[in-house]
Amino acid sequence: MSALLNFIVVDDSKLDCFIAEKIIKNTGRSESVNTFQQATDALVYIRTLPPTTIPTIVFVDIQMPVMNGFEFVEAFEALPENIRQGYSIYMLSSSINENDIAKVKGYQSVRQFLNKPLTNNAITVVLNQHS
Amino acid sequence: MSNKDKIKVLYIDDEQNNLVSFKASFRFDYNVFIANNTDEAVSILRQNPDISVILSDQKMPDKTGVEFFEEIRQEFPNPVRILITGYADIESVISAINRGHVFRYIKKPWSEEDIRSSIDQAHKFYITTALLAIKNDELQKAYNELDKFAYSATHDMRGPILSVLGIIDLSKNTEDVGEIKSMLDMMENAMMKLDNYIQNLHDYYSIRRGEVEIEDIHFPDLAKEVCDIYEVTSKMNNVRFTNTVTQTESFRSDDVSLKIILNNLLSNAFKYQQKGQDDRFVELTIEVLKGAAVITVKDNGIGIPENSINQIFNMFYRATNEEVGSGFGLYNVKDALGKLGGKIEVASKHGEGTTFTVTIPSK
Repeated sequence: MSALLNFIVVDDSKLDCFIAEKIIKNTGRSESVNTFQQATDALVYIRTLPPTTIPTIVFVDIQMPVMNGFEFVEAFEALPENIRQGYSIYMLSSSINENDIAKVKGYQSVRQFLNKPLTNNAITVVLNQHS
Repeated sequence: MSNKDKIKVLYIDDEQNNLVSFKASFRFDYNVFIANNTDEAVSILRQNPDISVILSDQKMPDKTGVEFFEEIRQEFPNPVRILITGYADIESVISAINRGHVFRYIKKPWSEEDIRSSIDQAHKFYITTALLAIKNDELQKAYNELDKFAYSATHDMRGPILSVLGIIDLSKNTEDVGEIKSMLDMMENAMMKLDNYIQNLHDYYSIRRGEVEIEDIHFPDLAKEVCDIYEVTSKMNNVRFTNTVTQTESFRSDDVSLKIILNNLLSNAFKYQQKGQDDRFVELTIEVLKGAAVITVKDNGIGIPENSINQIFNMFYRATNEEVGSGFGLYNVKDALGKLGGKIEVASKHGEGTTFTVTIPSK
C-alpha cells in the first residue's frame, strides 16, 4: 500500500468540493481532506498548519470570486520556503480557454492542469506521481 | 440659427485687416474665432475644444501655417485644417499636403464662395471622422464584452454541467439510497444555477438589443407582479419584506427594463442576507414625484466590502462567494438604467446592509 497523503481542495462551488472530496476518499490514500470555498481561507490554513512529513496535494479551481486560482498560486509562491515544501498544486478548471491553460505552465509550483470534473481516472494519474 | 449651433471656425492671420474682413464676411454663417498669432490660436483652441475647422495663413512672421498645423496636430488632432496662401508658393502647398495635415488650400485673395464651400466640406469631414471614432469605440466595447462573455460562458455554463457529470460518475458507485438522494439535490442546484445564468443572459440581450417601449407605468401593479415572487422567498427564508408604493401622477417608461431592475435588486437583497441573524428585512419603496420615480431597495444583509463597491456594476464581477451569482445582475441593472436615462446610487456597510437608490425620469 502506498503512503498516505493530505489533500486540500479549493473551489468556490460547494458541489465541486463535494465531488473532489468523495473521489479522493474513495482512493483510500487520504490521511486528510480539507475543502475551502474561498482561496483566502485555504491560504490561512496552509500558513498556520504545523509542519508535517506527509506530502500535501492541492487541487485549486481557476475562476473564483474574491481570489482566483492564479492569485492563490501567486500568494502561495510568496510564502516562505519551509512552508511551501511538501506541497504539490494541481489547477482544476472548466476553462477551455487557451490562455488559462498556457498561464498554468508559467507557475513553478503548479504540477499540472486538470480538466473538471475530477474523475477516478484523473486522480489515479495524480496519485501515481506520488507513490 | 443661434450662435451655439453654428460651425465653430478659427482663423489665424498676422494681418489684422484680413481678420476683420473675414469675421465680417462669415460671422452670420459661422461662429468665428480669430487670432493674429499662433500662441493666441492655441489658447483659443484649448478653450474651445469643439472648434471643427481651422484656417491659417501660410506666411506669418513667427512661423508658417504648415509649421503651425504640424505643431498642433498632437494636441488637437480632430479639427480639420485649411491653409490659405497668398502667393503661388507651390512648394509649401505640396509639402503641407504631403505631410498629410491639410484638408484644403485656398489661394489669396480668397473668394467668399471658396471659403464657404471649403468650411462646409471640412466640417462634413470632421463630423464623419468624429462619428467613425464614436462607432469604433462602441465596436471596441462590444468586442471586449464578447471576449469576456466567451470566457465566462465556458465557466458559468460548462461549470454546472461538469459538476453534474461528476456527480453522475460518483453516483454510479454509490449503493446508499440516502446518499444518492442527496446527490440528486445537488444536481438540482447545479441545474438551477445554470438556468439562472441563462435567464440573466436573456435579460442582458433584451436590454442590449431590445427597443425600449415607452408606455404608461402603473407602479402598484408592476410592483405587485414582481413582489409576488419574493413574498414566497420572504416566508421561506424568514426575511421580513415590506413594500410601499406611492404614485399620484402618471409615469412613462419601459416596463421590461423596470422589471429587470426591480428583480435584480430584490433578488440580491434576499440572496445576500446574514445567516443566523434574527431580524432580517428587505424594504422596497417606490415613489413617483415631479416626473421621476425613486426606487429604494434596502436590506440589513452582508453588505459590500468597501474595496469592491466601485466594481459591482462590472460585467461578471463578483464581490463574494457567499451565494450563487452570475456576475450579471447589477451589470444588467446599470445597462437598463442607461436606456431609461436613470441613475443608481449605492450605500453599503460591510456586515450591516446595503441600500440601492434608483432614480428614473419619466419619458
